Amino acid sequence: MEALIPFSLNALTLISILLMVSMGMAIIFGLMNVINLAHGEFITIGAFTLVVVQGLGGNFWLALIAAPIVGYIIGLALEKALIARIYENPLHAILVTWGLSLILQQVIQLIFGASPQSITGPFPGSIDILGVAYPAYRLFLIAFALATFAATILVFKKTKFGLDLRASIQSSEMASVMGVNPDKINARAFASGAALAALAGVLLAPLTAVTAYMGINYLARSFFVVLVGGAGSISGVAAGSGLIGSLETALSYEIPTTVAQALVLALAIVILRFRPQGILPA
Amino acid sequence: MTTTILNTTPGQITRKQKLGPASIIAIGIILALLILPAFVQGYTLTSYRDVLLFALFALSLDLFWGKTGILSFGHATFFGLGAYGMAIMSIHFSIDPAIVSLVGLLAGVGMAALVALIVGYFILYGGVRGAYFTIVTLALTLIANHVAVGWPSVTGGDSGLIGVPPFSILGWSFADPISSYYLALIVLGACLLSSMWVMSGRLGLILTAIQDDEIKVQTLGYKTPLLLLMTFAASAAMAALAGGLYAAGNGFVAPDMIALLLSTEVIIWVAVGGSGTLVGAVIGTAIVWWLQQKISSINASAWPIVIGTFFILLVLVFPKGPAAFVLDKVKKLRRDKEDDR
Repeated sequence: MEALIPFSLNALTLISILLMVSMGMAIIFGLMNVINLAHGEFITIGAFTLVVVQGLGGNFWLALIAAPIVGYIIGLALEKALIARIYENPLHAILVTWGLSLILQQVIQLIFGASPQSITGPFPGSIDILGVAYPAYRLFLIAFALATFAATILVFKKTKFGLDLRASIQSSEMASVMGVNPDKINARAFASGAALAALAGVLLAPLTAVTAYMGINYLARSFFVVLVGGAGSISGVAAGSGLIGSLETALSYEIPTTVAQALVLALAIVILRFRPQGILPA
Repeated sequence: MTTTILNTTPGQITRKQKLGPASIIAIGIILALLILPAFVQGYTLTSYRDVLLFALFALSLDLFWGKTGILSFGHATFFGLGAYGMAIMSIHFSIDPAIVSLVGLLAGVGMAALVALIVGYFILYGGVRGAYFTIVTLALTLIANHVAVGWPSVTGGDSGLIGVPPFSILGWSFADPISSYYLALIVLGACLLSSMWVMSGRLGLILTAIQDDEIKVQTLGYKTPLLLLMTFAASAAMAALAGGLYAAGNGFVAPDMIALLLSTEVIIWVAVGGSGTLVGAVIGTAIVWWLQQKISSINASAWPIVIGTFFILLVLVFPKGPAAFVLDKVKKLRRDKEDDR
């Protein structure tokens, strides 16, 4: 029993991380059907917002507010300049966003250098849970991820933006007849996805090495979370994160973490063969 | 038929009796490369040998991407499997030196073909095509890279493995620059001419037809997933052949031979030459390699930015490929001149 508590908390931490990094992917790839290989770089941008904010004397909480704004603005600008031209052709999307990803990585590295950035997270101590001491920051991460997830679901189900977006995804022609401007909706949706990824970047930063290439680690996993969970449904992200996160945690007790990650991705390919619509399809 | 570079369509309908322009160019290039060692020696020649092996790698991608229209974003997986297969066999096992290179090469090529068959079975038979195939192959490179970095006892981890012996077979050693250059040239020439020959025949036609309408081809009685799977496996095996020879030529393997950046670069080599032409992959590799030397000598960290910019330009400015873009401009100029008269 004693061992079960840290195990479930570790699994929950990883699931929360996957949930955070995949929500933006669920909007951009799952709902809008745009393959965005620069998704990882939006996460990196979020983490580097924290680096800049702390460099200027600000704290973690300020960065937590600033990062989604930075992500939103950059996402909006890139959507207008590039992404809006490639909605129809998935291969074009792959090439353009991959090019974007390479440029962003290199530019970030040129500005900040190649060595990992030092940042300080909040809550340095640990908290006792049923007799087990667990890092307080991880508990905060779990709570924050669940709250963000709930808020995202609410935005999609209850607000006018969510309604317009869902309408324009079902039939952009019909939606535009009803007075929804699909270009505007697409731009705002893409920027929201970028903002969520940047938010994830700030939350991840205290747990990982912050470098220009940190985002790439989450690219394939977030794709698979969305695919396995069921593209087109936000709640599928929870199912996908839950499955991939708990499997990876369980496996990494027995084998090296990188090999465990590889094995889980391989398993996800097998799952897609037999259930191509995902666990919780829309 | 779409005419963008990402969906290239070979124009031939029947096998030509005479040699087409592509075959003449291919033979011309091979002949020119045969006399190259008369002009360059030593280290320069070994870097030309590496270009030939990269060209073989590009050819392997073009065989699949150019002919089926499905983009593999994970071809470095197969190049890397070939390289690591060669390195692991010759370093970790005490095999008779007379056959160790051959065993290593076969192990790498076999592994690559096997991985391609397994993964290809799951995705091609699962009906996954187009962009989803690209994502899965992208993940494949990440998986392979994770394993290469995270399994140091076998792969050497981050630093890779040093001490791969030069390619040799039954006492014939290809250790010096000239013989290893000719080895690479012979392998490349054989692979290039045989793929052009195969693809100008029935298989090439069926693959073109699958690009246009897979369901119609199925209705005609062809097992399209099987054909795609076989082409994918052949392409993977050729990539591994290039990787194995590269590892033997340079004496080491490192995780960047099985990384996403290499998967990306090979797409550019093919795209610059014009995908689907096969010989274009060889020309494209040489052009990009030359450009990379020039740019890296000015600023080494600028190269990824150049690649990234190229991808964006490829889609937004010249979707048919740079070669076709230039040709179109030239044709237009000519037409304008004729109109003026």
